[in-house]
Amino acid sequence: MSRLDRRYAWLGVLLIAPTVLIFCMVIVYPLVSAIYLSLFSIFTPTLTGHWVGFANYADLVGSHEFWRSLFNTALWTVLTLVLQIALGIAMALMLHQNMVFRSLARSLILFPYFVSTVVAVLVWRWLFNDLYGILNHLMLWAGMFSAPIDWLGTMPNALASIVLVGAWKYFPFVVIAVLARLQSIPEQLYEAATIDGAGAWSRFTDVTLPQLREVLLVVVLLRAIWDFKEFDLIYLLTGGGPVIATQTLPRMVYKAAFGLNQMGRAAAVAVSMMLVMLAFMVVYLRIASRREREGRA
Amino acid sequence: MVDHKDRSTSLSRRAVLAGIGGAGLAAAAPAIRPASAQGQVTLRWWSPQNAPAQRAAYNFQIESFQQANPGVRVLYEPTSDEGYPAQLAAAFSSGQVPNLVTHLPSFAVSNYWQRGLLEAFNDVIQAVGPQNYYEGANRIYEITQGQYAGTGIGNSAANMMWLRKDLMQQAGVARAPETWDELRDAARRMQRGGIFGAPLPYARNSMTSLIFICFVHGAGGRIFTPDLQVDINNDAFRNALEFYRSMRELCPPGATNYSWGESLTAFVSGATATGIYTGRVLANVAAQNPRIADHVTCAPYPTVSKSVAPWTFNDFPSVMIPKGAANLEMTKRLAAHLFRADGYIRQLHAAPGHVLPVLRTISTNPAYLENDLIKKYSAEVDLMARSAAAGHNLGWETPRHRPNTKAGQIIASHAFAECVQRVVINGDNVATVISDTQRRLEEIMRS
Repeated sequence: MSRLDRRYAWLGVLLIAPTVLIFCMVIVYPLVSAIYLSLFSIFTPTLTGHWVGFANYADLVGSHEFWRSLFNTALWTVLTLVLQIALGIAMALMLHQNMVFRSLARSLILFPYFVSTVVAVLVWRWLFNDLYGILNHLMLWAGMFSAPIDWLGTMPNALASIVLVGAWKYFPFVVIAVLARLQSIPEQLYEAATIDGAGAWSRFTDVTLPQLREVLLVVVLLRAIWDFKEFDLIYLLTGGGPVIATQTLPRMVYKAAFGLNQMGRAAAVAVSMMLVMLAFMVVYLRIASRREREGRA
Repeated sequence: MVDHKDRSTSLSRRAVLAGIGGAGLAAAAPAIRPASAQGQVTLRWWSPQNAPAQRAAYNFQIESFQQANPGVRVLYEPTSDEGYPAQLAAAFSSGQVPNLVTHLPSFAVSNYWQRGLLEAFNDVIQAVGPQNYYEGANRIYEITQGQYAGTGIGNSAANMMWLRKDLMQQAGVARAPETWDELRDAARRMQRGGIFGAPLPYARNSMTSLIFICFVHGAGGRIFTPDLQVDINNDAFRNALEFYRSMRELCPPGATNYSWGESLTAFVSGATATGIYTGRVLANVAAQNPRIADHVTCAPYPTVSKSVAPWTFNDFPSVMIPKGAANLEMTKRLAAHLFRADGYIRQLHAAPGHVLPVLRTISTNPAYLENDLIKKYSAEVDLMARSAAAGHNLGWETPRHRPNTKAGQIIASHAFAECVQRVVINGDNVATVISDTQRRLEEIMRS
């Protein structure tokens, strides 16, 4: 290696060093810290404790609360994601049409995504309220029920409510992504399909959906990660109740870390969450890439 | 030539960047200098009691303190009953503790004291004057012999039964219920026309846990023996659960998600015929629903039978100083300042009957008594004051009990709220639920 090459190599190291440093600070250090903490029994306020090895993980494996919370997390993620995707695609298709006030509608549709979760939840709690909520008033007025419905305190209403609010809050993200892709689908594809005798449904399934596949792959991946670790919306709507029927893993982390002051256990739950998510993502990406290869073939 | 050009460009850019950086640092330096370095001392005060009238009273106290201590700035930061454990845990672990924390329940104080996280409060109590307190008012804070972990800033009677005299009359209920059977009967008779009998909480939160503990005592039971062994596998606890379950049909459907705010609003708005709360009801009725103001009264919450005395839940709103708080002497001065008559009375008047005075010199002070609500509801305020004075909480269940430093963790674990929900909402077997709850409590006590 010449002197110049060595200098270029050092320059390369120097230039990439800030990125590596920042990566280590914001990704590697917290990750290693979380794994390290999970091997201790730690009292949160003082961060003092003692080594317990894998005892926290062993406790979790034998804990009904952990498995139930994991099940709830998966259920919430799947249900709300399906609803977001369905609503998002439907709305994007609608906003892609020539219609009056299209620009205004496109702006307004983003509103739930931009409004803060706390504000959104307060509004929804008010709508769900048993005594003053508009939802119960309308249903009673329409004669659908003879008494107000308890939307947030009993199952399965509580689960349905958080899924509904979650889908409402986050479906605009799907709309943005899908709408952007719809605008770049060549019009000739639709024209050719029409000439071949394809109806509206066939054009959707044979032209639009295949064209959306790549963007949906990314959207599903991102939204699944974000929904899996959703905390504030569920915490503020049901607090994880009734009992632990809507308690997800992030809520369990919060309770262990700050309610019970068991930071080690909380870290163990958080690390388990990360592993579950990692496994899911690996499987998902492998299936997606295999399908893509099959599609090309 | 190329090399030279590159080098000169690089140097020039570096020089420019260094210049910008240096100028930026120089410009920012005065702004990022700590307040104390400018001769300014900043004290941070946290409280979960944040009603607008209370904030106005705190502002008065802050301003008078700042006037008396030039160069000192007091920064008020609200917290909440449900959120303070997390916020304080984060504050302690990061070393960014507030100077003063007020209005937390006494069991939170004992928990933090036990872990060595609080400064001793003896100096503040001396500054306020121990002789000015009610007899034994600070006993609950003397966890270590001769050392006080905090002091009370007030008393509260959190489980008073609030009643609507007009609805009682319409339903033919002659007097305030004293037993559970009478309460259930009265609530059933008053439940009509869209009005529910009671706003008892059935949610997974601290209110449900704290209120249910009152019912266990109302059944003649207890949660712990005086030496802090779990003592819930008995008839009293079972009776409390059964009675609480029987009251569900007399509460609004959404009571499964009620916390203090919802429960209070249900009674104040007229949606329920009875209520369970502190004296904050009085101020809220006067401000939000004056139509019922002449019909409102309170009584001790009924018990299983007349032979069991009412048990008042007093969370003993406290004042404490976290260990490591900066400017300790000034902080202690601020803590003592909160008891100065003019400001303290304003604080108490912000919600008359909600926080009751711990200083007997204040209870008899004409300025304190000169309040429209206290005058109008003098019988109710007296009753609450008497009840609160004899009150207890999970951190100190009876005078015979040792202080329970795990009480805060037990409440935060939702063990009791989940016990209630499993029986009332899920319909789980009572014996199994009690056994599971006992195991959870024992685990927390061992931890």
